[in-house]
Amino acid sequence: MGNVERCDKTLPLNEMMFHVRRDAALRARWLTDLEGIAREFGLSAPEYEALRDKDVRRLHDLGVHQYYVPQILRLFYGASANANSHPALEAYKRAYPKEAVASARLQAELDRRAR
Amino acid sequence: MATIVAAMAMTHSPGLTGWFDAAPKGQQEEALRATAEMRERLAAARPDVVIAFSNDHLLNWPINNTPEYTVGIAAEHVGPADWYDEWLALSKYRIPGHPALARYIVNDGARRRLALAYLREMKFDDGISVPMHYLNPDGAIPLIPVTMNCTVPPIPTPERAYQVGSVLRDMLKAYPGKERIAILATGGLSHEPGGPRYFWVDEEFDLWFLDLLKKGDHEALLRDCTLERMEEAGSGGTAELLSWILAMAFTTGPAEVLAYMPAIAWRSGTGMVVWPTLA
Repeated sequence: MGNVERCDKTLPLNEMMFHVRRDAALRARWLTDLEGIAREFGLSAPEYEALRDKDVRRLHDLGVHQYYVPQILRLFYGASANANSHPALEAYKRAYPKEAVASARLQAELDRRAR
Repeated sequence: MATIVAAMAMTHSPGLTGWFDAAPKGQQEEALRATAEMRERLAAARPDVVIAFSNDHLLNWPINNTPEYTVGIAAEHVGPADWYDEWLALSKYRIPGHPALARYIVNDGARRRLALAYLREMKFDDGISVPMHYLNPDGAIPLIPVTMNCTVPPIPTPERAYQVGSVLRDMLKAYPGKERIAILATGGLSHEPGGPRYFWVDEEFDLWFLDLLKKGDHEALLRDCTLERMEEAGSGGTAELLSWILAMAFTTGPAEVLAYMPAIAWRSGTGMVVWPTLA
């Protein structure tokens, strides 16, 4: 099965993200007190460090649900105009360079076809 | 007795509202044309209520407890949820609900051995907000949102979605009212939201899937379009097509494909479909 089955349903970071997205007070602390939020939700050191480093591959490897990873990045970089060129998505291109190149190639081919 | 008056399906990708301009002009025009046609056909069916089958993106239910299906029973639905309005570039909207029918679905479902969770106040992300923006922009048609879990393992199978659709079809037709009911499925086509292939679209899978819908042979589609095949075409996202398969149970024969766009810019295979013949 696919990537989504790698998620660890019992990971504290997955629980934390559910609440962060529903609670404006937690979101307001994201950039200034991430460590405090992480402590309150019982994150392990590797979970906190992957989060702090915005490391997409490590977050996936730890079992963060794939939906939450782009949302983590949007909390750091902002959510508006979230096109593929958005700074929040650069972390994906760093984590999965092969996939990013393949996508860029496909995009170029589709653009050629459209012209 | 109530009547089913329409069945249609469309992609709900956030790019369709949040960064619409990022796609090539041709795709933008195609999406606007196809959604306008869906909107006209929906209005022409004169529905008293639209039941929208989407999926919860871990917004309403935490990962430790994700019901297979959830019905929104509110008298009025308000969206998008705060965290989503900026991302979707949508201002707040209000759409009346249909509590009597929604509560009937929950309770009659239980009698028919369908475990349907419900929420008196459902929160809305792209799954409901994007299609409502295009198809029900004034909130003139009352809405019953139904979300399914198609992303937290275990993900249900296409057979299961079709079976649930069949039970819902029989149940809705038996509703003791004169309601004209439109069925809308939202989600798909191929995409892998937040996964390694986040910027990928599997055009070959999408065209193959749409071709199965055009053939209208439900048994063949259920045999060939396995969950494994959907996951290969984009994990954790393509399976949103389970809502389309659920809606298919309300129809017979071929679907009409209004548009398809391999829209990498919106990070999703993007399609709009109407079923002309209802079961």
